[in-house]
Amino acid sequence: MSLSAKKFKLIESFDQATDGNYQLLPARFVALDDNRYLLSNEVGEFLVISRDQLRNYVKKQVPKYSAYYYDLKSKGFLIDKDSNVAVDLLALKYRTKAQRISQFTGLHIFVVTLSCDYSCQYCQVSRQANNDPTFNMSEKTADKALDFVFRSPSRVVKIEFQGGEPLLNFNLIRYIVTTGKTRNAQYKKDLQFVICTNLSLLTEEVLNFCMEHNICLSTSLDGPEWLHNANRPRSGKNGYQLTIEGIKKAQSVLGKNSIGALMTTTEKSLPNVQSIIDTYLENNLNSIFLRPISPYGFAVKTRQAYKYDVDQWFEFYKKGLHYIIEVNKQGYHFIESYTQIILNKLFSPFATGYVDLQSPCGAAISAIVYNYDGDIYASDESRMLAEMGDKKFRLGNVNDGYEHIMLSDILLDTLESTLSESIPMCNDCGFLPYCGTDPVYHYATQGDVVGNKALSGFCSKNMKIFRHIITLLEDDMEARNILLSWIFYD
Amino acid sequence: MKEGLIEFDSHVFSLDTIKKTLYRFSDKCSFDIAMKDNIITVVFQAKTEEDWIGKIKNEVLDQDLRDIISKETENIRTLILANAFSNTGLIE
Repeated sequence: MSLSAKKFKLIESFDQATDGNYQLLPARFVALDDNRYLLSNEVGEFLVISRDQLRNYVKKQVPKYSAYYYDLKSKGFLIDKDSNVAVDLLALKYRTKAQRISQFTGLHIFVVTLSCDYSCQYCQVSRQANNDPTFNMSEKTADKALDFVFRSPSRVVKIEFQGGEPLLNFNLIRYIVTTGKTRNAQYKKDLQFVICTNLSLLTEEVLNFCMEHNICLSTSLDGPEWLHNANRPRSGKNGYQLTIEGIKKAQSVLGKNSIGALMTTTEKSLPNVQSIIDTYLENNLNSIFLRPISPYGFAVKTRQAYKYDVDQWFEFYKKGLHYIIEVNKQGYHFIESYTQIILNKLFSPFATGYVDLQSPCGAAISAIVYNYDGDIYASDESRMLAEMGDKKFRLGNVNDGYEHIMLSDILLDTLESTLSESIPMCNDCGFLPYCGTDPVYHYATQGDVVGNKALSGFCSKNMKIFRHIITLLEDDMEARNILLSWIFYD
Repeated sequence: MKEGLIEFDSHVFSLDTIKKTLYRFSDKCSFDIAMKDNIITVVFQAKTEEDWIGKIKNEVLDQDLRDIISKETENIRTLILANAFSNTGLIE
């Protein structure tokens, strides 16, 4: 058998395009500062360009053999006679980004009790003070919630225990973990568990159980002792001490990476970001989430939610991030978690799993909440709103059946309303691929799940953060290298 | 409170472009919009003393570029999305 040689096209045939003869591909842009714009496409590829470059791109005046032309072509902003492979590549990347929608509901939150031994001023869940069994989830409710868990198409499922203080109902946690793992033998999902706890009840029994079942812990640490105790009072006034002891015990028994902490920014926190971060460093924690206060629950009742505005919080965040980058320069790998999420969105098409920054929103398709009484909510924030007396985002009850919940009007209407591509101002914003929608926030603050983004604290905050991170990546090479080292790929 | 007036030629900028621009400033200004004889008139009342006329005019230019991109890429965007969701059973 003879092999006939394949004939290649002449090299000139790959160089047919001429100046000004390219086709634009879908793109959006947003001003970064007075001189620069971010140009982004449907899958999040981006370029930072000047106003003149933007105009030249749109008017098809970019010279073919310029570096800028090659940047635009390689990142999927134009096609020409020489190659239109970008069309297929964009489709493939878009499909990858959208994959989380078909692999829905990876996070299942079990509110095992509303009782708590703390009295945090900004409590978002309107906890109950007494250990009243009325506010505990029952095994029967837990079983029905587990039915929902295993109906989820997601191959990776995380069950997160919340409260109140979930360790006040540790027996139920034990029940859910063991029953869940037994049932998972049939489904073979990657089943993970997290307990969100203030650590005051972290006994040896609890630690051993966590070790046996690879359960991670998440806690709140608001900063140095005076600040933590001021924000998160506890009878006995020893909240900080118990938290630190709990962190050390967990690190010792479960490993350093099995416990994480986050903080909530109050008015008192604003001038103290460096000492807050120092507290995390002193206690051997790998990361911090500089989290603003949410407008739900006791944070609204006590007016904590209104004691500072977005601009004030952003100054806090900027100073904190600057300090963290300086810490990294000293050789200590320490991450700001929200920044890390944004970086992953900038540099990869893969889902981050962060529910509050998704389009369509993560309601029920990323995370779902099973309340202690069996009521099901579209998100953690939905539950918080319900505890304030507004059950708009209640999807139903565990007794209602999976299809009834997942095909409910409230859920489908909310999802349909929260596609960024359909929302005024979002639909042509250059930050769209990295941003998301938060229907509960906008409903709580503007009375509408979409809201006017010009008036939105959510939009204002995120745009400031995007601009700041991208400007750092562009203007500070040392910071850029540190920030890029924070990216993880699932 | 600062007030001002800007006129736009509707042969140059569409009414949609002007409206989208003004929406972006709705946290800081309120607007009255009218159109007569192909001239779009915008009267604004702003909460602060800034160069609102300059800001609005610049944003109109940006919105106009967005309009160009949107019109030119509408079909190919549909093609990309159709391609992305083919064979998944998501499109009936």
